[in-house]
Amino acid sequence: MSTHADATKLRLTSVTKSFLAPRTGNTTVAVAEMSLEIQAGEFICIVGPSGCGKSTVLNMIAGLDSPSSGRIEKDGQAITGPGADRGVMFQDYALMPWQSVEGNVGFGLRHGTPGQHLSASQRQERIAHHIDLVGLRGSEHKYPHQLSGGMRQRVALARLLANGPDILLLDEPLGALDAQTRLILQAELLRIWGETAPVSERKTAIFITHDIEEAVLLADRVVVMSTNPGRVREVVTVDLPRPRAGTARTNPKFGLFVAHIWSLIRDEAYRAIGGAASAGPASQQATH
Amino acid sequence: MPNDPNRDVFRAYRPVWVSLRSFACFFLLWWLLYLWNGNPLQLPSPVKVFEALWGLLREGEIAEHASVSTLRMLTALCLAIAVAVPLGFVMGLSRQAQQFIEPLVEILRPISGIAWLPLALFIFGVGDTLPVFIMFYVGFFPIVLNTMAGVKQTDPRLLAAARTMGVGPLPLLFYVLVPSALPTIMVGIRLAFAGSWAAIVAAELIGAPSGLGFAIEWYRQLLMTPKVFAFILAIGVVGYLCDLGLRALQKRLTPWAEGVGVA
Amino acid sequence: MMKHTGNESRTFSIVRNLTLPVLLIVLWHLWALALPTGSPAPTPIKVVQTLGEMLGKGDLVSATVQSLGRVLTGFSVASMLGIVLGLMMGSSQAVRENLDPIIESFRPIAPMAILPIAILLLGTGTPTALAIVAYASFFPVVVNTVHGVSRVDRKLVLAARTMGVSRFAILTRVVLPGALPSILLGTRLAMGVAWTAIIAAELAVGAKSGGGGSGGIGQMMFVFYAYNIDLNAIVVCMTVVGLVALCIDHIFKMLEKRLTPWRQEI
Repeated sequence: MSTHADATKLRLTSVTKSFLAPRTGNTTVAVAEMSLEIQAGEFICIVGPSGCGKSTVLNMIAGLDSPSSGRIEKDGQAITGPGADRGVMFQDYALMPWQSVEGNVGFGLRHGTPGQHLSASQRQERIAHHIDLVGLRGSEHKYPHQLSGGMRQRVALARLLANGPDILLLDEPLGALDAQTRLILQAELLRIWGETAPVSERKTAIFITHDIEEAVLLADRVVVMSTNPGRVREVVTVDLPRPRAGTARTNPKFGLFVAHIWSLIRDEAYRAIGGAASAGPASQQATH
Repeated sequence: MPNDPNRDVFRAYRPVWVSLRSFACFFLLWWLLYLWNGNPLQLPSPVKVFEALWGLLREGEIAEHASVSTLRMLTALCLAIAVAVPLGFVMGLSRQAQQFIEPLVEILRPISGIAWLPLALFIFGVGDTLPVFIMFYVGFFPIVLNTMAGVKQTDPRLLAAARTMGVGPLPLLFYVLVPSALPTIMVGIRLAFAGSWAAIVAAELIGAPSGLGFAIEWYRQLLMTPKVFAFILAIGVVGYLCDLGLRALQKRLTPWAEGVGVA
Repeated sequence: MMKHTGNESRTFSIVRNLTLPVLLIVLWHLWALALPTGSPAPTPIKVVQTLGEMLGKGDLVSATVQSLGRVLTGFSVASMLGIVLGLMMGSSQAVRENLDPIIESFRPIAPMAILPIAILLLGTGTPTALAIVAYASFFPVVVNTVHGVSRVDRKLVLAARTMGVSRFAILTRVVLPGALPSILLGTRLAMGVAWTAIIAAELAVGAKSGGGGSGGIGQMMFVFYAYNIDLNAIVVCMTVVGLVALCIDHIFKMLEKRLTPWRQEI
């Protein structure tokens, strides 16, 4: 239990989450007996069909919800609530509409724990640095309703990073964007995360997505979940070389990873939209 | 020449021109009715009314009564805000508090402020306190209900986001809940003003020794009808200006809430 | 820590709803007990007694009915006018441009401010009360009707035009049904305002006509203030005013639901 355990940033042990419907008394198990170990500096993607509990797991890691049974530990300590050490980027940005870009990026620094030991000028500097990092210099005084979706997402990212968390939790952050913006932001994300930097300088990231290609592009490992109840189906190690931003999609192994993951999810995805998977040519190819 | 400068100016000021034309027609109609009615004590000529208005303005009488009424209204509104906003926050944050207090609010609300006049007259007598009490009562309900609604419809994602940034409970209240509820609260304040301004006339008509409502009644008893009309006009104008002021305040305090309109 | 509020029994929630009002009434009663015996102050017990007496004499009911009658009359006239005007203003830019300045100028002038003029022109009887009620009801109806028309899908109107439907028919068959939810909201608000206005008008007229015969519950309240001083009766009247307001609101809400079941919460 020496250096190997020390490098485990986040450990989920038999985590189960069930919900009790107050009127009917029915219990829904959202996540069942999920165990996972995440090392520091890893980029983990979680994919799965709708309703497999991906967001529930993220909420529990963030401390916004607690498991019905099992344990979640960060750096060996149990998680008891939300905190600035685990920053979250939400699906619909969750930007304060009454704050400008500058106000939003600096919100945690000014009113939360991250900026407590900083002086006002140090905070200013950090805010400006992160606004610059996501390429929004010049828009500091705009309000969210004046920004495009992609710009809002970048504000959310800048806010996340400005608070200096050591775990980044991202809940389908690019889901609401058009495909081209998504491609751009995927590359940005990898760059900011530190794809070109050594592993020890990278932050730990947990990224939820529906997009399998996106998962394979970004992740070191892809956690494939199944639904009803939500549990880990398989953890796929994506050993494509980094940096991937420009090159990964043309690597032949990329397509194989995607196909393999899709084969794990496909049947459940069909069921989720009310149909049944046919045993056609697609399934034959996947099992290759 | 296609770009006639005169026509462009005309078009730019079109709304003003149309308004002026409407008012002109209105005053013409009024004048015709006056001629047809024949009793200047009942329906005075528009000319006489404007004369009276001008005279009252010059003598400062309108300003005197208007400032008395406006002061009372501001007092009442501030009192109502001071009581209703915190209460609304408590009710919005705590389900139990809401379920405990709301029934009383819903029982009192249908009893309009006007219905309280006789009882209030007995308690406070004729004077300054009466209009302020009635206006406070009328203004209280829209503010407390809107504040509660504003707090309750705070986006829970915003609260979650703030908590993941390590924001504690008190900063959460001041920097997330209050700004989030503010647009709805402002709407409540504007509604409260509209209701209070309508109530003040009744309250002052019956139970105050000064103010615009009193003035209307005073001059009616003296059968000085043009002055009655003049004061009625003053009521409308002051009400309109105050609402304009509130709208500007709303814009200043909550610039991000576009299109939060009041009927 | 989870509160299963859905499982609450009905009796518990009824009890909880009544706790604060009942508590206040009890406090009121205790305060009344501490008063000297000849005091005119209202007490809960005397209020209930007075209610019984007034119901027995029948004038409470007749006064309420009289007020309601006036409200309904004034309201009907005003809402018909308001709906017609609102439909015209909503569908025609020209009409709206010309009428809007006048209507918007009068809107901040409270119904009660018009009272002295009404008294001068119509005396201190029922016509004055009707005029005040009509004036008060008019604005919510017209404003909401215009708003309702503006929310009607323009494409429906265009589709009807291309089918050769006459302008009048478009108004009655396309615009009116489409604007109905807003119109009904306007009438509900107008009824509420009208009820307040009638009480105010009757109070004020009662005050000015020296307690004479304008009738209505507002008038009755004033009589109990200035002539047959009976604060308990005033409280009874206030309660009746509140109850009637609640009933009116409830009835109109049901009407809205019945006539426009497709309506989403605005």
